[in-house]
Amino acid sequence: MRIESHPIIDDFKKGKKVAFTYNGKELEGYEDEPIAATLKAAGIEIHRYTRKNHEPRGIYCAIGRCTDCVMVVDGVPNIRTCMTPLKGGMVIETQYGLGAKGAES
Amino acid sequence: MKRYHVIVIGAGPAGLSAAIEAASHGMTVGLFDENARPGGQLFKQIHKFFGSKEHKAKIRGFRIGEELLAEAEKLGVEVHLNSTVMGIYFPMNKITVSNGESTTSYSGNNIILAAGASENAIPFDGWTLPGVMGAGAAQTLMNLHGVQPGKRILMVGSGNVGLVVGFQLIQSGCQLEAIIDAAPKIGGYGVHAAKVARTGVPFLLSHTIVRAEGTESVTGAVIAQVDEYFQPIPGTERHLDVDTILIATGLTPMSKLAEMTGCDMKEMGGKVPVVDQYGMTSIEGLYAAGDVSGIEEASSAMIGGRIAALAAAAKDGYIEQNEFEKSYSDYQSSLEKLRKGMFAKENRGKTLAVTDEGLPISTNLLKHGFLDEEEITSYPGMTSRQGIHPVIECTQNIPCNPCQDACKFGCIQVGADITRLPIADVKSECKNCGMCVAACPGQAIFLVEEDCGDHMAAVTLPYEFRPLPEVGEKGYGLSRRGEEICPATVLNVRLNPVFDHTAILTIQVPKEMAMRARFYRGSRKD
Repeated sequence: MRIESHPIIDDFKKGKKVAFTYNGKELEGYEDEPIAATLKAAGIEIHRYTRKNHEPRGIYCAIGRCTDCVMVVDGVPNIRTCMTPLKGGMVIETQYGLGAKGAES
Repeated sequence: MKRYHVIVIGAGPAGLSAAIEAASHGMTVGLFDENARPGGQLFKQIHKFFGSKEHKAKIRGFRIGEELLAEAEKLGVEVHLNSTVMGIYFPMNKITVSNGESTTSYSGNNIILAAGASENAIPFDGWTLPGVMGAGAAQTLMNLHGVQPGKRILMVGSGNVGLVVGFQLIQSGCQLEAIIDAAPKIGGYGVHAAKVARTGVPFLLSHTIVRAEGTESVTGAVIAQVDEYFQPIPGTERHLDVDTILIATGLTPMSKLAEMTGCDMKEMGGKVPVVDQYGMTSIEGLYAAGDVSGIEEASSAMIGGRIAALAAAAKDGYIEQNEFEKSYSDYQSSLEKLRKGMFAKENRGKTLAVTDEGLPISTNLLKHGFLDEEEITSYPGMTSRQGIHPVIECTQNIPCNPCQDACKFGCIQVGADITRLPIADVKSECKNCGMCVAACPGQAIFLVEEDCGDHMAAVTLPYEFRPLPEVGEKGYGLSRRGEEICPATVLNVRLNPVFDHTAILTIQVPKEMAMRARFYRGSRKD
């Protein structure tokens, strides 16, 4: 959920609204905000499933340290979504193990 | 290879301050940070800082960040963003920097390491589930990106990070279900706890998290009481209905770069480089400042950064020895002021019984996050008298004194020692300006008129939530623990620019509630 009004921060200074796809579904977010923030606002918690035990993972540190939030972005796996700015037209997919679904390895 | 007089690694409060100090003495400075934006954690600190004027007290963290950035730019500091320092090499005084695509080397006569710290994680069943996050991560999402980290939230850890982020969650419209801590007392400042407690959030001390529930993401939490060895007591487990669990259990210095230089290291909440009084490591020309050399807070990190750069400037002849000594002694005394009081290093892990003034320390505040009504009269800021007057619910010796400067009428005195408890001077006349209420970083000052006729009293309080109540609106007066204790009518709402977003709310409550009502809640519309 996005914060509608905040007592201290008057303006979150967002970029323009852009469209992207998440697992094939068209969604919208703000340009240059971290992909992880866009997905959180859209209520998406799961970023990837681990390789051995297929356990779900989401955002943990949000500053690029833990790599829990990596996803497949524009076909490239292991992209830290908390550090990567959203761009219009991005193709974002849940990561399974080391790649997108079907590319499990 | 590009050469700088000073290379600073990390553009947070310590690094920015170091860069500014060095550049102000005419040194060329390269400031490197792996993030896309400079400022480190400063831009997510939306609360007013503690300290005194010289420490930029009562200014919100992100504004301090903006000031530092502007100053660094003006002085010609070269800021390299998206630039991860991958290695430091001595005695060549060299760093290698990756921008993700290529690697570049730079050399510097001095290298100041200000890499900061990362959050500690604690393992428990379900700790890897989406919805379990660092408290700092939540702060990043809500304060930088305007996204709520969750709807119903459990905070694990009652240090200042847990307390400050807890309050900010409420400001962001999230429901904070509880703050728990395995320790038997609250770790952070009492005033930070009190402003959370008065909104109705319970503090559960001697409690730990047993597990996060859910298979795909968090659907609940199970907590339990712990014994004196921090082991869960069987039979005390209880479920909390939350979708997010935030972990605020301390920070660890990010000292890997220091370690790879081979400088002397020691154990201090994680490995830290051994430094002298100027922040210099065992390698000449390599300095460490801020959290990387030992966890403190932003205000002392800023001074630490300045001292390291000052020492580098003196070493290389950019300032005269006497100028160095004067500036150093100013910075050092400023730093010492911040390192005093109840929460000073030498008092860590201790349970103090009395304040510096010899007054008993509120045990209720330490256990439950709010002052007990029986305790309140013993403190020098909490006096009772006719007419409107400040009631200062500041009961721990912490380094902070903006209240003293805020009152132009002499009603509040702290004195030269900024950790002393503020005294409400009964002889000075309060003009009801509200400046002290807005200035107090702990939101611990109230203006009270105990009898304004008709068996009513008026309580003026700081209010940093939205939506703002409207004048004439009726709701409830809340006690220090956040219970609705009486009807309340909003008499006045002031949002003067000088208050910097802290609204000053005046509510009318029954006379006997003058010293009990400390928060306002509108009538629920649902």
